[in-house]
Amino acid sequence: MLQRVLLSVAIVAVCCNCAFSKWLEISNIKIKQEPTELGGPKTIIEYDIEDPNISPESPAYVFIRYSKDKSNWRLITKDCLRGNGFDIVEKPGHKQVVWWGTEQTTFNELNKVDIRLRGIQMIRVPAGKFIFKSLPGGGRDESKEITPSSDLPLFYMAKFETTIIMYADYLNEIGGEGAGWNQRMANIDRCGIIRKSDNTYSVEPSRENYPITYISWYDATNFLQWCGLRLPTETEFEKALRGGLFLDGDEAKKDSNLMPERRYPWGDEAPDAGGVFRCNYDGSEDGFEYTAPVGSYDIFSSPYGFCDLAGNVAEWTLDWYSTSFHTGLDGFRMVRGGSWMAVPVACDAITGATQLPLKESSIMGFRAAK
Amino acid sequence: MKSLNRRQFMKGSIASAAAFTAFPQSKAHGANEKVIMGVMGLGGRGTYLAETFAMRPDVEIAYLSDTNTRRFARAREAVEEAQGKRTKLVQDFRKILDDPNVDCLVNATPDHWHGLGSIMACQAGKDVYVEKPMSHNIWEGRKMVEAARKYKRVVQVGMQSRSAAYSKKAKQYIESGKMGDIYLVRVFNMMQHAMQRETPNQPVPDGFDYDMWCGPAPKLPYNPSRRWLNQWEYSCGPIPGDAIHQLDIARYLLNDMPYPKSVSHAGGVNALRDGRETPDTQFATFDYGRLTLLLETALWTPYMKKTPSNIRDSDGFPNWPFSSTKVEILGTKGFMHFSRHGGGWQAFDSECELVRSEFGRQGDKEHQDNFIDCIHTRKKPNADVEMGHQSALLCHMANISYRVGNKQLEFDPQTESFTNSDQANKYLKRKYREPWVVPEKV
Repeated sequence: MLQRVLLSVAIVAVCCNCAFSKWLEISNIKIKQEPTELGGPKTIIEYDIEDPNISPESPAYVFIRYSKDKSNWRLITKDCLRGNGFDIVEKPGHKQVVWWGTEQTTFNELNKVDIRLRGIQMIRVPAGKFIFKSLPGGGRDESKEITPSSDLPLFYMAKFETTIIMYADYLNEIGGEGAGWNQRMANIDRCGIIRKSDNTYSVEPSRENYPITYISWYDATNFLQWCGLRLPTETEFEKALRGGLFLDGDEAKKDSNLMPERRYPWGDEAPDAGGVFRCNYDGSEDGFEYTAPVGSYDIFSSPYGFCDLAGNVAEWTLDWYSTSFHTGLDGFRMVRGGSWMAVPVACDAITGATQLPLKESSIMGFRAAK
Repeated sequence: MKSLNRRQFMKGSIASAAAFTAFPQSKAHGANEKVIMGVMGLGGRGTYLAETFAMRPDVEIAYLSDTNTRRFARAREAVEEAQGKRTKLVQDFRKILDDPNVDCLVNATPDHWHGLGSIMACQAGKDVYVEKPMSHNIWEGRKMVEAARKYKRVVQVGMQSRSAAYSKKAKQYIESGKMGDIYLVRVFNMMQHAMQRETPNQPVPDGFDYDMWCGPAPKLPYNPSRRWLNQWEYSCGPIPGDAIHQLDIARYLLNDMPYPKSVSHAGGVNALRDGRETPDTQFATFDYGRLTLLLETALWTPYMKKTPSNIRDSDGFPNWPFSSTKVEILGTKGFMHFSRHGGGWQAFDSECELVRSEFGRQGDKEHQDNFIDCIHTRKKPNADVEMGHQSALLCHMANISYRVGNKQLEFDPQTESFTNSDQANKYLKRKYREPWVVPEKV
């Protein structure tokens, strides 16, 4: 018979200051094992997530990773979990997760297992129609060879761009020979992650809350797979920026979007109209010569509340751009949202750029979607 | 003579030969000085060229230019990261030509701007690296050659296969006579293009100088869903725009054979019936007397693949039957497969035995090396403007044959015109939109 164990496991990466790192704060983590009648124990993980902003419209995405040897970490897949504290979490408070699956039944001693919980602030985008690439005065300078959809199912997207501290946390967990890191990330003005001689990573002081840059499409997708997430598609990015025809979705249809063809997340005003700077674009007059801490322009967020969809860093999407010139090759991916180096009009709702997926650029980052 | 400023130049004298001397001439260039460069056109190719030139210690990118300011950020970031120095951003490329410190212009615009942009650069005393196909029509190509010669400019065309080491070895092998006499060359360009889906015309977006983008071409209603590559006013067509690499290497391998006597064409818009003007299927036969060159191309062949990226710069060969950009050389004693993009070549004897293989590497860097070297030495570059003209001419001839109803056309090399079709001769030169007119006398 299994011994009942109740112990606190070293929770290394749970962040204590959500305003500082963009991981949501998770506390009072307790882990125990209990026997089951069907054979093998179940592991019970309890924690508190108290951010008052968590709601059905702005839920947390909580994912759990574990290691049996403190070096090889794995994501606990959703089908092994039960309870109210994993994946999309819509209310703050005390949470309990039951982990019952093949992997955890092999634990002989729970105190040899490390478990880490992390949370990302997401925003819910309800299913429904929206205006895709039809902005008067906008348009694209290249035609794209996909069929755009103007009716998307429910999806979730991160409120903020992925930050340097989040990415450094990821690097420290995956360890190894520097995969996911490149020397340019040490550039203190444009990024700020230092790789130390012991193969660990640190963040330059005060750079924690800036968006990660110099990140290839592959690096971004690897990070998101590590979280159990993915990149947004172009259509998702654009809907998140502009809003659906109804902000509460096509099922409810109570909250009409007054500007479904808006030019920027905040409306149609130019990013510098009236001497007010609404996003981080080219030049330092907006207060930032390079990137800005994520959420610096939060009062100019999108109708759903997404921050920095215009400017700061252009963001990788899941979509690719294909021309015959690149058939058979690893073709361009689409990047959206403008950047700190872009002219103001390039920070609008529809401007896209193409980049090769291996490109590591100081003007490109990413955010998560589910 | 007092120099005209840029505005005066625009106002009245683009078509005047005298006006072209109004640009300040570039400084004399010392062998150890950095080459100061401006880049015109910041699409995928222009950004690539800007970045790779910026990575060179002997080059500084002083200007980046595009009519669409939305394109600035990607190129600027790449250049500034590469050279560690800021670069100027301009919508009007004439600001580059106005700067006497600039040595050369990289012209990576759409086809319709290649000619005039390069001629104006020559007039301004700049050397030029111009993307292929270097001209929009036959007459314009000849004017580009004349401008380069008159103003003693280095004009390198972006046909980089000429600078790849394996191309030179293939040429030497053919010249050795081991393949016997060459009577037939087959050039392939089999691609896969998507249908374009036309949407209504749109207002021109802010930050985009569409009038200047149209330049010498008519200012058609703005409609980005109609790809410029598929419209005659802006393009030579997507097939010639890529096939010219193989056509040029075929000419190079056969010692830059002179003009064909005639061209005949078959094909049209067979598969991609989406409103495009330019054909999706082009078969052309060029008669060089005792040599025949066949061009076989299409835009709807997904099984035909370009040289895969893992072969381009490594020791490997493409899957020849399905190689979309191969050249086949047929001699009386032997046969050669040649692949663009560093795909190498293989030669076979009359018993179908493989007798020689050469792996390849892409020639981009060597082509750029050659351009910079020629700026210092004033020698003709590997893909000199005359070679660019001769190769682009094949594309134009095939297109014209198609446009007059797939007729066989006889060509007079002395006048660079057709002898048996007045209708065809109407396509030798475009109608230029004021003030963006290529003058008779450059």
